[in-house]
Amino acid sequence: MSVLRGHDLVKYYGDLEVLRGVTFEVEPGQVKVIVGPSGSGKSTLLRLLATLEAPDRGTVTLEDLPPGPGEVGMVFQRFNLFNNMSALDNVMCGLVEVRRLPKAEAREQAMAFLGRVGLADHATKFPDELSGGQQQRVAIARALVMKPKAMLFDEPTSALDVELVREVLDVMEALAREGMTMVVVSHELRFANHVATSVLMMDEGRIIEEAAPGEFFSSPREERTQRFLALVE
Amino acid sequence: MLASFDSHLFWAALSSGPYWRGALLALELTAASLAAAIIIGFFVALGNFSQRRWVRAVAWTYNWLFRATPTLLQLFIIWYALPQLWPAFSGSWFTPFMAAWIALSLNEGAYMSEIIRAGLLSVDPGQELAGRALGMKRRQILRRVVVPQAVRIAIPPTGNEFITLLKLTSLAYIISLHEILTSAQELAVVKFQYPEPLLAALLYYLAIVSVLMILQSRLERRFTWTSGRGRRRPVQAPAVPAVAHDAR
Repeated sequence: MSVLRGHDLVKYYGDLEVLRGVTFEVEPGQVKVIVGPSGSGKSTLLRLLATLEAPDRGTVTLEDLPPGPGEVGMVFQRFNLFNNMSALDNVMCGLVEVRRLPKAEAREQAMAFLGRVGLADHATKFPDELSGGQQQRVAIARALVMKPKAMLFDEPTSALDVELVREVLDVMEALAREGMTMVVVSHELRFANHVATSVLMMDEGRIIEEAAPGEFFSSPREERTQRFLALVE
Repeated sequence: MLASFDSHLFWAALSSGPYWRGALLALELTAASLAAAIIIGFFVALGNFSQRRWVRAVAWTYNWLFRATPTLLQLFIIWYALPQLWPAFSGSWFTPFMAAWIALSLNEGAYMSEIIRAGLLSVDPGQELAGRALGMKRRQILRRVVVPQAVRIAIPPTGNEFITLLKLTSLAYIISLHEILTSAQELAVVKFQYPEPLLAALLYYLAIVSVLMILQSRLERRFTWTSGRGRRRPVQAPAVPAVAHDAR
């Protein structure tokens, strides 16, 4: 029984076929890590799953229905926090605007989620005043507060200074342990090894290999995967 | 050197009723025109981003028309030609002030649309994407995220536009609107003495613009997002860029 499912997804950008009939699904509590060279369609797949873009062919379903607003959370490479709002307002925004919660209640929930990512003390700070790692944690809280049924992460640590990567991965690992369904595009192989249910390799708009992390990293089946892993490590 | 400078006349001019009323009128006309221009400019700017080709064409044509022709000509057309073309504009409601307001609003709307467009474009599209990922509607994202940040970018050039408009109100003297320059001109003609009335007019403009600059820097601070704002820590607002304005 899958939570989030993309069926036979095809996406063109102009004449370029970025996704060539990808079928992808993730079951409750699973963590799937997607790797692959740039231009392989990883980010596009996430954008389609988050319904930020519509596929040219194929369907995306969440528990057999089209995903509703905020039901699939998304975390971006460059955080994309609202720069005109404090950390707290960033996290509250979806509750107030989309879920139509009263402000007081939204604030209370938002504070709780800021606490979960270890940023309760920074609630009044604005994005400009936070480190990259802190901004990304706010972004995670902002998505989580909507109670999504799945969380998508698009290279969540690749815009971060090395010493800030850990704090974001820690939050993600805790989330995975709590049973959140996650799809993560990332080249953090240690994270994949520790946390992933399975690792997928994408190349030229297709998923070419999927395996449990142990198997994926020690004895990849595809020659393309072997070459890619040799370059990443 | 200044043998002929009559300080008594100068002070009389500076404190005279016609000057005050002229200044007030210029200020009213400027504020009303800028307000209308911001509304026009906002919708024209959005029109520039429209999916529909004809909407973009209307926005483009509007900007082209009002930026490519002299403001004075636009004022003449609205004041003299419009009532002849369209009898509704020959009623008593159509005062010089109304004519100047319409002309300056339409003219300034074209410039404001460019400023607002640049402001909207300055907001990084990733924030819009994040808003959509949360399930926010386009209009909610615009209102809560994009517009406030665009306003911050648009304040300094809008301050410049205010100054430009204030000076443009002196054009309305030609359609017999009693603004500052009219008062100065009348006084000068009556007394046959130019330096004092004109210098007094100059000071009025300087005073108005100085007040505006103070208001602008306060407004900029209000639209700067750091937590210091609440605690009244002084925030360094970026300097107003010196924009070389095209002559209108």
